[in-house]
Amino acid sequence: MIGHLTAIAHAATGVVFIAGLSACTSSSDTSPSRDSGGVAKATGAPVQVAGTRIGVPRTTAAGEWQMPAGDYASSRFSDLAQITPANAANLKASWTFSTGVLRGHEGQPLVVNNTMYLVTPYPNVSYAIDLATAGQPLKWKFRPENAQAATGQACCDVVNRGAAYADGKIFYNLLDGHTVAVDAENGTQLWRTRMADLNLGETMTMAPIVVKGKVLVGSSGGEMGVRGWLAAIDAKTGKEVWRGYNTGSDRDVKVGSRFKAFYPQDNGKDLGLTSWPGETWKQGGGAVWGWLSYDPELNLVYYGTSNPGPWNPSVRKGDNKWSCAIMARDADTGELVWAFQVTPYDMWDYDTVNENILVDLPLGGTTRKALVHFDRNGFAYTIDRATGEVLVAKPFVQMNWSTGVDMKTGRPQVVPEKMTAEGKLVKDICPSLEGGKNQQPAAFSPQTGLFYVPTINLCMDFEVRPVTYIPGTPYIGANAPEKKGPGGHGGEFIAWDATTGRKVWGIEEPFPVWGGALATAGGVVFYGTLDGWFKAVDASSGKALWKFKVGSGVVGNPIAYLGPDGKQYIAVYSGIGGDMGLLIAGDVAANLPYDIRERGSTLPDLARWTSWGGMLFVFSL
Amino acid sequence: MRVSEIAFGAICVMAVVAAAPRARQAASAPNAMTDSIRFVAHPEHIPSGFPSHDRPLALRNPLEGNANARKVGAQLYVSYNCIDCHGADGSGAMGPSLADGRWHFGGTSGELFESIYQGRPDGMPAWGGRIANDQIWSLITYIQSLSQGKNVATENFTGRTVERTGH
Repeated sequence: MIGHLTAIAHAATGVVFIAGLSACTSSSDTSPSRDSGGVAKATGAPVQVAGTRIGVPRTTAAGEWQMPAGDYASSRFSDLAQITPANAANLKASWTFSTGVLRGHEGQPLVVNNTMYLVTPYPNVSYAIDLATAGQPLKWKFRPENAQAATGQACCDVVNRGAAYADGKIFYNLLDGHTVAVDAENGTQLWRTRMADLNLGETMTMAPIVVKGKVLVGSSGGEMGVRGWLAAIDAKTGKEVWRGYNTGSDRDVKVGSRFKAFYPQDNGKDLGLTSWPGETWKQGGGAVWGWLSYDPELNLVYYGTSNPGPWNPSVRKGDNKWSCAIMARDADTGELVWAFQVTPYDMWDYDTVNENILVDLPLGGTTRKALVHFDRNGFAYTIDRATGEVLVAKPFVQMNWSTGVDMKTGRPQVVPEKMTAEGKLVKDICPSLEGGKNQQPAAFSPQTGLFYVPTINLCMDFEVRPVTYIPGTPYIGANAPEKKGPGGHGGEFIAWDATTGRKVWGIEEPFPVWGGALATAGGVVFYGTLDGWFKAVDASSGKALWKFKVGSGVVGNPIAYLGPDGKQYIAVYSGIGGDMGLLIAGDVAANLPYDIRERGSTLPDLARWTSWGGMLFVFSL
Repeated sequence: MRVSEIAFGAICVMAVVAAAPRARQAASAPNAMTDSIRFVAHPEHIPSGFPSHDRPLALRNPLEGNANARKVGAQLYVSYNCIDCHGADGSGAMGPSLADGRWHFGGTSGELFESIYQGRPDGMPAWGGRIANDQIWSLITYIQSLSQGKNVATENFTGRTVERTGH
């Protein structure tokens, strides 16, 4: 089996590149030893670009992957360095595992103590796989109770973006609104806490992180008229410790004396109420379905909030705080310490839930503690993570709805012709509501100082219609057909310099890049595509090094780990789905294999290149 | 609330339902007829020789093919947010397609009535007693008009251009 797959891998590779290494990566291109486990440096990530480093050094073992993004900084950088531009062409499939679930496999596995942990899309089965035994047998399989009604309440497929490990426990969210803790050794459910209200359209798809004994979680439902929140659960007992809402009174939002936003318009009393007409904040969205980051020095947890509800902007005139905002809360108390509204009065479904990557960057002659965020609205923000000050804001994709970010206020300057309203059809808005980037997380390498960003090149027409709030049904009020943007490619995998706001290189892809990125100390970056290619490229140049056609389109995020045999492995889910796979990609989007869903007009030929099916693929040299 | 306006500004009175007593239409309160409507015949699930002492009910859509009912159903499809689950023209979105001629819970008038009235365990809300029965029949009239010619079992990708069956 492995031999067969190897043959395919070589065939798929075609040309073997012996990449010329740049100065940035050459020093990491050392022969790995068993002792160092192939790690580029024994202590933390090597700093090769002056003043550039991952903002929160990894404290866990380099060969493990204990939290969704690998570290609190959300860098998705692995210190493992065995796979280099010189040898990546020799990568081959080592083993695979069917998850038994067909729908969109966003998220990523964890690896702790020579055990791999997977969580599937609904019904959110989890598996513990023994990496130390040939054939990778299961240690356990856990099938939680999980209400089937949730499958009809989730807007964008029944995805799950992964688990977090801490203190011998695996924590993850169930689609029906529960958070569970499972004993990592034997799969026993330790607690199960209802956090979200399915009857109000709240589901849970995001991956938690664990900070100082608290599990941090949020809910989905920005299309269902929910009221977004972030909550902390005691990891030992499963009891809720605090919950901060993203709309409503200062008390509910946890705005107190410590709160200080950088921009004047983001300061004031009860902005979560007063920036909405009447009681529209109660169905105002601002859900927390994306990624969390944490800075232990500042003790701040960072997250972004979703679009305001409904999409019809005419019924909620105002800034709609704190939808489409980056929030910084005290990890112990939940107090809001600062907030920055990225897209006030969103009219295009530009959620701000994308990951916030914590890095220290050289800016203006000093090293700034920065947060880098690639927003749905098409701007890449480099922000001071202590204050919320915008340092750099530049478009990272083609856009036409805004002429730029006003650096005095942090607000985007909106092109009037692209404003949407009830009774109006606005044509050709770029990016589309999928954003310049969506949930697929970027990665950062301190060796190159670059961010590796999976992007989308789609535009849309936006027609707003009246809408009624009916609990448990979608609260949208707009039609927004999408099409490929200028250039005709569906997406591009880019390398981004966040100090200058400049694209360094890009690889155009026929379809939107909906899988996340992984950067490694070997100088190789990995990502997967909707048409089912898993690729390795040179971190410095973007040069293609290797690719392999996996079983289904990739919407998941690769990880790197060190096997018990001392070898570096790369693991990724294939399994098309999620918003992109489900909503616009034709019959790969059907609910059952029996269905014949019409192909959407956006990506009519995607169904030719892939079909659904959840599978883990693991690669090594 | 727009919902109640639509509910009370309802359409033509429902006609006789086969094997069910004639009933006065009310916008909300369930009545004797709606109780009997809960039981829909599923002869395809009855093995031959299975004991039977009753003649199962077979519900027919009293508004079948009614052009006005289809128009009203199309409006209700938007007003009740069906569109955002099942897609424009029933093309499928977060919920299943209603236009592909493939039904998870059956596609006869009675089965569609049952799906809308009682809801389904995969998240389809139970609308029975919340909206008028004749509105349900209007929705069904609209839904049944969507699948004409869309049940295409084979997709051939090998042609020069990708054939589009979509909108």
